[in-house]
Amino acid sequence: MLNERLQILVSAEQRLRLEEQARLAGISVGALVREAIDAHVGAPTLDDRRRAFTAVTAMRGRYLSPEELEALGDDERDRAAPAAVPS
Amino acid sequence: MAFFVDANVIIYAATAGPYHEPCVEILRAISEGTAAGRTSTAVIEEVWHVELSGKAGDISGLAENAHTLLAPLLAVDHETVAAAFALPGSPLGANDRIHVATCTLNGFDAIVTADVDFDHARGLRRVDPLDQRALRRLLAP
Repeated sequence: MLNERLQILVSAEQRLRLEEQARLAGISVGALVREAIDAHVGAPTLDDRRRAFTAVTAMRGRYLSPEELEALGDDERDRAAPAAVPS
Repeated sequence: MAFFVDANVIIYAATAGPYHEPCVEILRAISEGTAAGRTSTAVIEEVWHVELSGKAGDISGLAENAHTLLAPLLAVDHETVAAAFALPGSPLGANDRIHVATCTLNGFDAIVTADVDFDHARGLRRVDPLDQRALRRLLAP
């Protein structure tokens, strides 16, 4: 039930973005803002977080140095780069 | 004190090695709500990439669990990218610049990371997970 009124100030640029996004989605600006609130504030519960923490810390992955981790990200970008076109 | 959590903190909490214990403590404090650590969509993408590469062993589900643990994530949008482009030259790579811009736009002045490249990020203090004193200050309720 929508019975709470919330008045907020946004910048002109934010308003334009909201209106454009709402137009693309075929919904009202109000509906878009409500969706954003649900997506952003519908955070997991404390139990959800604890379960996630337990799952993460039960993992026993292999150590990679900070340099190796950095290189791993670079590798993917190198692979994704298009091959040079011969002139 | 609010701080930004880099991808390596999440990965090290799930892998063996010298960073494991302090990174577990960081995530424990965040999961219990006693520390204000936040991260972004870009960081979760990095974690996911490492997970899927298989190079850090079996860490299946790490990105998804990190997403739950650290929700809501900070957004990376056109404003973030514009701020990243405007950063002065430094040895930081593209994704790291996105992280610096995310910190700036969200008012964070500290990033927890093992990546020493962030020492070059102006206006941002790097806290190394192995720096026990700095970490204690950061995690103090």
